This record gives sequence, C-alpha cells and structure tokens, in this order.
Amino acid sequence: MAQVSLQGIHKRYGAVQAISELTLDVHDREFFVLLGPTGAGKSTTLRCIAGLEQPEEGDINIAGVRINEWSAAQRDVALVFQQYSLYPNYTVRENLAFPLKSKLRSFTPRQIEERVAKAANTVRITHLLDRRTDRLSGGEMQRVSIGRAIVREPRVFLMDEPLSNLDAKLRELLRAELKGLQQRLGTTLIFVTHDQVEAMTMGDRIGVINKGRLVQVGTPYQIYNTPKNTFVASFVGTPAINLLDLRVDLASGKAFDDSLAFALDAATAHTLSNLALPADGRVRVGVRPENVRLVEQGGMPGTIYGAEHHGAEIIAIIQAGAHTLRATIPADSRVVVNQPVQFAFAQDKLHYFHPRTGDSLRL
Amino acid sequence: MADIQIIDAEKRFGANHVIRKLNLHIEHGEFVVLLGPSGCGKTTTLRALAGLESIDSGEIRIGGRRVDHLPPQQRDTAFVFQLYSLYPHLTSFENIAFPLRAARLPEAQVKAQVQQVAKVLRIEHLLNKRPSALAGGDMQRVTIGRALVRRPEAMLMDEPIGALDAKLREEMRAELRRLHVENGSTTVYVTHDQVEAMSMADKIGVMNDGVLQQYDSPTRVYDEPANLFVAQFVGSPIMNVVDCVCEATGAGMAMRVGGMTEPFMLGARAAAKLKSGAVTELALGIRPEAISVSRTHSPGTVAARVHLIEPMGAFDIIDIAMGPEHGCATLRARTASQFVGAQGDAVWLSLDDARSHFFDKRSGLLLRANA
Repeated sequence: MAQVSLQGIHKRYGAVQAISELTLDVHDREFFVLLGPTGAGKSTTLRCIAGLEQPEEGDINIAGVRINEWSAAQRDVALVFQQYSLYPNYTVRENLAFPLKSKLRSFTPRQIEERVAKAANTVRITHLLDRRTDRLSGGEMQRVSIGRAIVREPRVFLMDEPLSNLDAKLRELLRAELKGLQQRLGTTLIFVTHDQVEAMTMGDRIGVINKGRLVQVGTPYQIYNTPKNTFVASFVGTPAINLLDLRVDLASGKAFDDSLAFALDAATAHTLSNLALPADGRVRVGVRPENVRLVEQGGMPGTIYGAEHHGAEIIAIIQAGAHTLRATIPADSRVVVNQPVQFAFAQDKLHYFHPRTGDSLRL
Repeated sequence: MADIQIIDAEKRFGANHVIRKLNLHIEHGEFVVLLGPSGCGKTTTLRALAGLESIDSGEIRIGGRRVDHLPPQQRDTAFVFQLYSLYPHLTSFENIAFPLRAARLPEAQVKAQVQQVAKVLRIEHLLNKRPSALAGGDMQRVTIGRALVRRPEAMLMDEPIGALDAKLREEMRAELRRLHVENGSTTVYVTHDQVEAMSMADKIGVMNDGVLQQYDSPTRVYDEPANLFVAQFVGSPIMNVVDCVCEATGAGMAMRVGGMTEPFMLGARAAAKLKSGAVTELALGIRPEAISVSRTHSPGTVAARVHLIEPMGAFDIIDIAMGPEHGCATLRARTASQFVGAQGDAVWLSLDDARSHFFDKRSGLLLRANA
C-alpha cells in the first residue's frame, strides 16, 4: 500500500511562494497527474515528495507514515526526469543495474541480473541491453530511464514531464504504453506535466495546479465537464473553451450582450434560476467548441473568420460582433471565409462562471 | 505574379543529401506548408528560396525570374524566423519601419505603410512599445509586420509560432491564415507540427529524408495519404496501420488483421483498391474515426475488447485489443465521450469501406482503385 498524502504544504524560494497550503491525497495504485502551466509549483511538489526539497510547513506521508525527515534514498520512491540522465558511457544493462548496486541495498549479482532482465522485458528494451546509451534514440533512452525506475520496485513512481522531449508521434505511443505499464505494475504513479492531453489521456485523476495552489482534483471527465473555474476550463481542452461575458435576464428569458443574444430554453432558465447569479445579471458563459453548432435558421448571426481543416473535423472560427468563437463541425461541412452563418449553443452543455472571480457558479 | 518554382533542386552538406531532386510549383497567392520531421530538408528548402543557402543543382524561379544565383536582397522575399529578431532598442513602430527606412522611402509613406500593416496585425496599440515590453505573441506579430511591410513577392516563414504556448499558437494560427486571406501574398511556411499544416495550408508538401512525399491539399493528404510515412505523420491520433490478409468473396472481400481468424467483411469499394496489382504483403491503414464501435453484436461486426480508454474531452480514444487472447492486434478508435463503460468491456467493430486504405508493405505506397 502506497498512498501519498500531502497536508498543508508550504514551500518558499526567497520571496517566491512556490507552493501554498497544498493538501492532496493520492490513492494507492493510482495514476495521478499534476497539471499546470510553467511555474505553477507542480515540479516543486514532486521534488518535495521525492525528498529533493524540504517544505517549510506541512506533512508528507507515504503509506500513512510521515516521511518529512527521511532522506531521498530512504523514501523508496523513483524519479524519472524530462532529461534522461543516463550514464552515457555505460550500456543499458549497466544503467539499469546501477540503482541496485547502492550500499543501502544488498542484492546478489544473481538477483540484480534477474531484476534487470524483468524490467527490460517490461519496457521492451531487452534487445538494447548491451548497447551504450549514447547510441539510443530519444524514445529508447526514455524507456531505459523508466526501466531504471522500475528495476528498484519502488513504492511510488514520480515522473516529471518524461515525454516532453519526444516528438509528437512517439509521445502518443508512449502515453498509452506508460498507462498500460502502470496498470500492470500496480504501482502508485505521480506524473507532472503542462500538457493537458497527457493529463486527460493518462490520469486516473488529475490535480490542476496554478500559482502554487491546487485548484481542482477530479477524474478527466470531471475536470473537462465540470471545471471549477475559468482557469481550469481554459487550460483543459483543445481548441480552448469559448468564454463570453453576457447578461442574463431571467425575466425576459435571454442571455445577451452588444454582439449577440439568445433565448434561454426552459431547462437552462431553470438551471440559472437556481444559481447564485451576481445581482447585475452578468455571467461569464463558457461554451466548448463542440457545443457550438452551425444551424440553417433561428440561430445567432455571424461570419466565418477562418476554417481549419483538422482531418477528423473542421474548426470553424466565427466572428460575431466583438466575439471570435470556435466551433467544431463535421469534416464534410462546407464553409468559406467571410460566409454569413447562423450558430447556436447546446444549452445543456453551457458553463457559468462569476465574471470577476472566475469561479463556477454551479459548485 | 509571384509563383515559385523549384525545379530538380539538389543540396548536399558533405555526405548528407538534404534535398533530393525536389520539384515544387507554388502558385501565386498560395499558402504552402512544408511539413516533416527534423532533418527532412524543409528548412533548407526554405532557406534556399530566400537565398540563405545555395543549391548544388537545379533552378529556383520566383515570378518566372530565375533567382537561384541572386543574393537574398535581390530576390524580394521576406523571411520570418522562429525566434523574434527584433531590435531591442527600437519601438515596434521603428522595428516595422526599418526595412522601409533602409530603402529610403519618404516619411509619409513609411508612416502609412506601418499603420496599415499594424492594423491588419492588430498591433496598433503596441507601436510605441519596445520589444522588452511585449508578450511572446505580440513580439512575433511585430516580427511578421516587419516582414510584411515591404510587400514582398513571397513570405517565407520558418516555424514562426513554434516557440509560443499552446493556446497562443491556436490563436496565431487563425491570425496568420487570416492575414494571408487579406494580404494574398505567396507564402511558404515550414513546420514539423501537422496540426499547423492541416489548419493553415492551401497545400501541404510533406517531406522526409530530403524527398517530397506528397504535395496536395490538407484534406487529400489526410484522406488519401500517398504512402505509409504520410499516413502516420499526418493526423492525431495516428492512423492505425496493421498487417492484413485479404480474400475475395462474392461482392467484396474478407480481410483479416494481425493473424485473426474472424474477418472484417468489406464491400466492393474497398475490394477495388486491391484489384490493380498482385501485392503479397499488405497493410491496412485506417483512421480512428473510421472504425465504428458498438456495445452490442450485430451481423458483420467483429468482437474485440477495450484495452485502454483515453479521454480527450470532446471525445474518447479507445485502444481495442483484437483476436483470441486479444493478442493479435491493437486498433485505436474514436468514440463519443464515455461511450464505453470500462476497460475490459466487450465491443464489436466494423470498418468504413471508403476510409479503409491499403498499402504495399514493401514500397509503402498506397494502393488505389483504377479509375
């Protein structure tokens, strides 16, 4: 059992508050992703768990035991970095065996041999064992790095953007591979990334972190479908969610601004009447591109500003007054630049945020 | 008319053959993206157009005029790099005006042209700021403004938005495309990012190992990739490519993938693609959205099991394991969000005839139905 629990963590670098009041429970055997932009504090969090940094305040527990004072080696966690950090003059086999030769562990040569063989098989690098690591491709090197983490059979894997240096195709393949691997091994894994696609596709749960604070924790579906604020809503999903500052008038059943207006359907009006709307009726409405539709009639008027062919679909960019909205439409749609169109929203999929704080009005 | 022609161009760096017999015709006003992995020769090609590299043999013509022997300044092209190359001590206005001042244009005309470009790029409010006060996207807008202000015959761009974050790239993609629509200058744009290529280009030239693999519209490159390299370089998630064996049946054919016993039944449209030649080693290529996934069995569907679910937000990508013990092959399919319940669930698959592609594994080439 290796649940990882952080309680009220604070970490400062000089005047910079890198992590504030961070409390988080990662379950045993979970693939947990810490997602956030550069400088959010996600790597610092990971380094605190690894024992490479000391928080000023708060408790770090692994398997229910406080480990703040334990050295990195005692914590029995394995860290994989973005840079492969392999020993270039050694073979893959020697690189894999290296963590097992530490004096803290007393493995026999036979045991080392067995563990290396098993780890190499798991990450499919058996055929590379006798090659020097400076003769490997990027993907192979990252497999060796992961193999070197596996070979120790640690309680927890910690990975800091391990796929970021790889090209798009390899990243896509390794994503699925890594998720499958974690499930087979059943080891708790905490994975840090700024790439929302990695977070969505790999995480059992995602913790979104911004400016040193944990903003939301949830499954990929929860994060995407019920973002807690506009930061999460905008950070997750591509193309990005459309955000519109509108006025909602429940008396007339309309949402509008100077550029566009639409009539609220009965269910939406009912939903909104149950929310704590700001007194002036101003609401930041979020609508994902797949919930904007082009319609023949009865929609809001706009013109096509651009159309991006993405193969499986087209992203239509619609200019409506002061707004530029993105709509995901079928690949066989015919749209041309400057064409007048009408569009509508799937109202049951709208998000409502406070225009000043950005917090969801639903939560 | 500024069309660009590259005729039989060759370029070597020592033993490294970076451009091989390249022929490319870019029509006046076209936005062409050269797409490929690093080292494929796309940037060298662009630099050869600009005159920053020479070619060993062949010809380059811009607007009908042979330019491959001319220095860069006589080619009337403008070059935009990935890294903003602005003068730090000059304001945005002076940065954009720089090429005009170098050409000794009258002050009134300088002002007018800078204002006009700034308007198109939506940077009028930034004209008095220095580069250090600008955000990354704005800096790149100014860089592009400086390239555009001379109204060159051709715009050449080398990964101009590669250094920006994902969201800004999404915006800049639309802006650059829009700028092209309004400005109409012949544009050659180099990137390794297939999303940029698909979303911006009139035509994509896919390059690998110095060789042009395909030169076509984005939809054709996506829907009819000329070979396995193009098929797997363009599109995300990647196109599924699996070994297959086909056998003619009454109207269509039975296709087995990865050593499976149970076949997919395909119709005449798919079968026609295989009639043209006797290819012994075949690969099926099919995009994730061309596989339909059902949670119930119906005639003609093939049983499989969900191996992994990757939520993308607007939809899910699921890895599906095929065959007995589910060890024969893995296919990735695209489904509605939360369509399948859980990993391990049974599903039944069928393939879209029209979007099932067959490749000769030896040559890598796409097999086409005879017209």
